[in-house]
Amino acid sequence: MTNSINEFEDADLFLVTGSNTTAQHPLIGSRIVNAKERGAKLLLIDPREIPLAGFADLHLRQNIGTDVAVLNGMMNIAIEEDLYDKGFVEERTEGFEQLKSTVSRYTPRVVEKISGIPAHDLEKAARMYAIADKAMIVYAMGITQHTTGTDNVKTCANLAMLTGHIGRPSTGVNPLRGQNNVQGACDMGALPNVYSGYQPVADPAIKKKFEEAWGIQGLDDKAGLTITDMMVAARKGEIKSLYIMGENPMMSDPDTSDIEHALSSLEFLVVQDIFLSETAAKADVVFPAASFAEKEGTYTNTERRVQITKKAVASPGQARPDWEIICDVSRLAGYPMNYSSPADVMKEINDLTPSYSGITYKRLEMCHGLQWPCPNEEHPGTGYLHRDRFSKGLGTFLPCEFKPLAEVPDEEYDFFLTTGRIYYHYHTGTMTRRTSILEREAPVPFVEVNPDDAKRLGIRNGDQVEVTSRRGSIKARAEVTTRVPKRVVFSTFHYYEAPVNLLTNAAFDPVAKIPEYKGCAVKVRRCI
Amino acid sequence: MKTLAKKDLKGVVKAWAEKYHVLAPSRMAKGDCIFDTFQEESFSLDYKKPPLFPKAVFLPHTEVVFEVKDNKLHEVISARNTILFGIRSCDMMGLLQSTSFMTRDRDDIFYSTKKERATIIVMACPGPQNETCFCTTTFSGPVAKKGFDLMFFDMGNDFIIETGSHRGKELLSSGPFTDMDNKLAGEKIKTFKEKAIRDIPVVDEVYEAMRRLKDGAADQKVWEHFGRKCIVCGGCAFVCPTCTCFNVYDQESAPGNGVRARAWDACLYGGFTREASGHNPRPNQASRLKRRHEHKLLYYNESDIQDSLCGCVGCGRCSDYCPVHIGTLEVAREIVKE
Repeated sequence: MTNSINEFEDADLFLVTGSNTTAQHPLIGSRIVNAKERGAKLLLIDPREIPLAGFADLHLRQNIGTDVAVLNGMMNIAIEEDLYDKGFVEERTEGFEQLKSTVSRYTPRVVEKISGIPAHDLEKAARMYAIADKAMIVYAMGITQHTTGTDNVKTCANLAMLTGHIGRPSTGVNPLRGQNNVQGACDMGALPNVYSGYQPVADPAIKKKFEEAWGIQGLDDKAGLTITDMMVAARKGEIKSLYIMGENPMMSDPDTSDIEHALSSLEFLVVQDIFLSETAAKADVVFPAASFAEKEGTYTNTERRVQITKKAVASPGQARPDWEIICDVSRLAGYPMNYSSPADVMKEINDLTPSYSGITYKRLEMCHGLQWPCPNEEHPGTGYLHRDRFSKGLGTFLPCEFKPLAEVPDEEYDFFLTTGRIYYHYHTGTMTRRTSILEREAPVPFVEVNPDDAKRLGIRNGDQVEVTSRRGSIKARAEVTTRVPKRVVFSTFHYYEAPVNLLTNAAFDPVAKIPEYKGCAVKVRRCI
Repeated sequence: MKTLAKKDLKGVVKAWAEKYHVLAPSRMAKGDCIFDTFQEESFSLDYKKPPLFPKAVFLPHTEVVFEVKDNKLHEVISARNTILFGIRSCDMMGLLQSTSFMTRDRDDIFYSTKKERATIIVMACPGPQNETCFCTTTFSGPVAKKGFDLMFFDMGNDFIIETGSHRGKELLSSGPFTDMDNKLAGEKIKTFKEKAIRDIPVVDEVYEAMRRLKDGAADQKVWEHFGRKCIVCGGCAFVCPTCTCFNVYDQESAPGNGVRARAWDACLYGGFTREASGHNPRPNQASRLKRRHEHKLLYYNESDIQDSLCGCVGCGRCSDYCPVHIGTLEVAREIVKE
């Protein structure tokens, strides 16, 4: 997030797209709900009628996978009607002419054809966003989990820069992170191309810095593989072994049959997890890990805030904190790691990561967290990013053209399947399906079907339906609801009984390698 | 009555802590104040209204009620000698109400065993602890009427201590306590109490809302309004001193082995009332909120409320902590507004 969570309280307008905020980030969602009561505006762009739709001043229900066209259309209108922030564009950005030229093709009529959003609604939306004083864009996986995920993100940034809605309090671009520490995992270099703090592995000076700190030579200066690439390589036999921690690709990755094939092709699989997940069940070696409550350390949340947690309960059996397991594996493999505690690990993070230099364990013990960048111990942390200048200097417009989903419905597979999450379960259900009350609240896999489609197919609320894609088939209970538009069905990846990723398409974004979970073609029938 | 110099308090509590598990207001490193196991360094008297009444002492968040080992069942009843030091009078009323509910027609032994072994020391409130306090409206404060073993009145440099039970009297039998003339102490307490009552405003909307609920005159729109924005976190039930609902579940560790446990539950969850057939008599959030607030303000049991006003004790925590502002105060005001 470029903003802090508290800044939701002063914004005048929220553009929420691809985020079911009240269900997936309920405490942020509740700030939007409260803001509505004090008179802020809510502009929702989402194919589904999520709970926030009940609060929206305007809800645009675009066809699945048409986000770039919709946002380009809004920029087209802002430029045509002279509603963009000329001062900001002049002083803070570059590449405006290219942007203008690209978005000029996305007139409201053209966008209506692509997205299904009526031209006058798009105009209203563009005006609302452009003229707001303090507007925040809020998005989540609905923007990123597409073959055009990177383009979608760039286009959100273009829109914010064009209208000057960034770099001031309560104005910015806010991807809501889905896990308590996914921001921290990325910050710590759990990515194939960077060390901690996004320091590139290919940079010789950075390479040297880490070699010196770790007392070794020859760190690889080439980027490694993403998860998506690893599965492809495993299938081809190019990767012999995987060490998977806290991840359950047998449930969470697209085209499960293919993932199973990939994991079975490995010579050696190690899984480190708190429960015997579907993936752990396939492992040669399982390391039992301690849960969040059984260890201490830090998490970095969605607003870049690093917070400390303490051990509350003892671990069961042989479970141990991840860092201890990793240190032992490393020692046995011939490279002793001599950390004595999480505080000791944090000390190294401070020494090697400029944006975390001032976030010391000692400071964290005494406060409710610090937000990076925090370059030294006197620095109070950074509430919002890009004040006065972007980290790269001028903000570059990166105009994108609309590209359709990798797999669109046809005569046989005539529905869009879009996938997501519900309030009560977390991802593959490894934890929440073992939690009595959460499981009680949502015990059964379901598929949302629009009433018109249901009628045509003879499906009644609660019937078992079969959803089939080119890759597989699942059975689940139909929930007949207008929450989904016609020709769209929605389901979740929480249930092993109906693992929706048997159906999803493994096509991925060429840059980020994120799979297209948000749209593929399926057919639907009632089970007899 | 007895008095105790304020400077001697920590030593007294420390001495108790050698014999009892003492839960007392504690200032944590980052400034928050909670009820926690007594420790000299963190013990604090500047604690206002801690976020949670320590109801987990009597009804733990999760609690094993029986174990099965090789197909043999063993009941698990755990309790220890505990002193709760410094709870507020609203929480005292919450505890009285909960205890009545948990023992009235059937004795919940898991609860009552813990209650029997607990000594309760109330710290009377000299005024509102924050802007949501409304105990004077619900007749549950600022001073406890019954239920306590001891009640402390903060008189500045010392405390006047009222004894509420034999067990309380025992606690005062040794230590740096001095006697005070009952009449003089009574007068001082009277002045203390009158000032506190003056300072804690009565919320007339609560009475009016109760009347409207009784007459069936509360607008359905109130519940729809709140139901639309409730995020179903259940926090209002978890912070409520009079909420004691729990869910029961089994955990099998191996065939013929496992535990049956219970865990805090909340009536704001759909599954709380969903029937085996799938039918749910409270099918949406509006109806669940209605049920919750009617339970507090309308459908309470006369014997459970222990001479207070209703099933709400006026602690104001639901108003303090609900992320979307659906507390008793907001609900009462909305009912009256319509």
